[in-house]
Amino acid sequence: MKGMEFSPLESITLRGMLPRVFKGENIPVSEVWNADLTFRRGESVLVEAASGGGKSSMCSYIFGARTDYEGMLLFNGRDVAGLSPDDWQRVRRVNIAYLPQELSLFPELSAWDNIQLKNSLTDHAGPAQIEEWMRRLGILFRRDYPAGRMSIGQQQRLAIIRALCQPFDFILLDEPVSHLDEENNRIAAEIITEEARRQGAGIISTSVGNHLLLDYNKRMHL
Amino acid sequence: MKLVSRLLRKNTSVPRIVGFVISNFIGLAIVLGGLQFYQDARGIWEADDSFISTDYLVLNKKVTSRQTLEGADQGFTPNEVADLRRQSWVRDVGLFTSNNFKAYMSVQGGSHSMSTYMFFESIPDKFVDVPASQWSWRPGSDDVPVIISKDYLTLYNFGFAGSAGLPRMSEGIMSGIPMTLVLTDESGMRRKELHGHVAGYSNRLNTILVPEGFLQEANRELGDGREKLPQRVIVDVSSPGDVAIAPYLEEHDWEMAGDKSASQASFLLKVVTGIILVIGGVITLLSFFILLLSVSLIMEKNRDKLHALLMLGYDLRTVGAPYIKLVAVSSVAAYVLALCGMFAMRWSYLGAITGLGAEPRGVLVSVLTGAALTALIVAFNIVAVRRKVRSAWRL
Repeated sequence: MKGMEFSPLESITLRGMLPRVFKGENIPVSEVWNADLTFRRGESVLVEAASGGGKSSMCSYIFGARTDYEGMLLFNGRDVAGLSPDDWQRVRRVNIAYLPQELSLFPELSAWDNIQLKNSLTDHAGPAQIEEWMRRLGILFRRDYPAGRMSIGQQQRLAIIRALCQPFDFILLDEPVSHLDEENNRIAAEIITEEARRQGAGIISTSVGNHLLLDYNKRMHL
Repeated sequence: MKLVSRLLRKNTSVPRIVGFVISNFIGLAIVLGGLQFYQDARGIWEADDSFISTDYLVLNKKVTSRQTLEGADQGFTPNEVADLRRQSWVRDVGLFTSNNFKAYMSVQGGSHSMSTYMFFESIPDKFVDVPASQWSWRPGSDDVPVIISKDYLTLYNFGFAGSAGLPRMSEGIMSGIPMTLVLTDESGMRRKELHGHVAGYSNRLNTILVPEGFLQEANRELGDGREKLPQRVIVDVSSPGDVAIAPYLEEHDWEMAGDKSASQASFLLKVVTGIILVIGGVITLLSFFILLLSVSLIMEKNRDKLHALLMLGYDLRTVGAPYIKLVAVSSVAAYVLALCGMFAMRWSYLGAITGLGAEPRGVLVSVLTGAALTALIVAFNIVAVRRKVRSAWRL
């Protein structure tokens, strides 16, 4: 059986979506939960929320890592409930790039190997390109250093680069700059915008305060 | 993929895997060694008599002086046979048929010739372990296969041939000599001439055995028409060592013919092999659980990594591959060690067994059994690994 493929993934729709833990609770009015919200390819959106508002949950739902929600998630208007694990793995390799809040780096591997773990799967960026990104974000000197011994800010920059090592229609960034100073925030925004624009991709970024410095098409509150 | 292996092998406990390899090696070596020993040792009792299984007993009624004087028919009555069939240790009963006509055999061997009166008996073909092609007789055919008792050849070679100045004959030469069988009815009016050849020698049947179809037809054509009761019966028993057999025979005043020790020794061999196989099997099973638990434990410890790799877009197969490889390599290593162990054991006992007159059997059955057990262990673990990977899909 041939699985579901999205080439490209034009839209992500959250229809009446609500985390199950919120069910029955009196939640404040939200532009995301219990709404009909569509993210479009090519648009950049900032989702702002207070801590505990469920933005990491939203990212996990969109990325297929969790399904503990009510309502529907649609890719190109099709319900994702029918996606097999193989379909999801394809989505993760070619449609959606994801920077989780917890970064999910492998502490025992070097910075370089952490990136290669992703890039060898997608064969997306050349070594020169990766080194260029590392140089711009100021972590090239940590190239062969175990990721676990890098500072949290350096780890965040490393995880951003890793997320860029794949083709994508959307890049999903869960609090991407929470540990970055303004200068690094600006450089990260620059690199992400370049890559998204080159691929005509959409950007979905979340924030509890310090947000990625982009010209967003839309800002919404969770 | 090297990076993935490196990541996922972390937390692998070498002592646990070595523990599995050693215990699986011991278990498999016992199973394979036991199986191989059974195969090889069985030959001690069976090698020289492949025609009649050791599970068959030949029974006859005891000959008493009273019967001799009275001349009563000493055969088995239908009631007695029916009662025998009802015994729990009996799987099947076959009746011996004897000839109802006169038979005469002559052998031409170079310058010597020999002739003698003969008798024949037959048992149902299913009790004779000779390929159908060698033990078949088609109506009208004039070639009859015969199985004779080895004792007859011994009697001839060491009793008769020496005193009569005749050459001794090996089994092979004897089998090659054409026999002429002359069958006549009581009056000698009707007569039939046939060729016979020795199809084999038996230690366990003291008779001259011909195919049942042949004897039935000859009895119809040349016999006196009187139905005779079978003098002997052949019984297929579920286990020759069954304790119920001896008292039953005692009660009916019957006796068992031939070499009883072979049946009993073969039965004992089966029991001992059974015990050894169970012990080896239990150890193998325990070693399987050691492997299953070790791999599950490693995967449980690496669960976050498995999840992170799946989130990066690695597919389930790739993420499970290092563990499947670990399982396959350690199982195959244990199997190879167990084969070495089996061959070492075999080497140490083979001299003794061939000394007892057994023809060693091949090792194919044991090798394949080991391969099948190993495949089973690997297959179960692959299923377990796949389930574990799937469970890491959601954190």
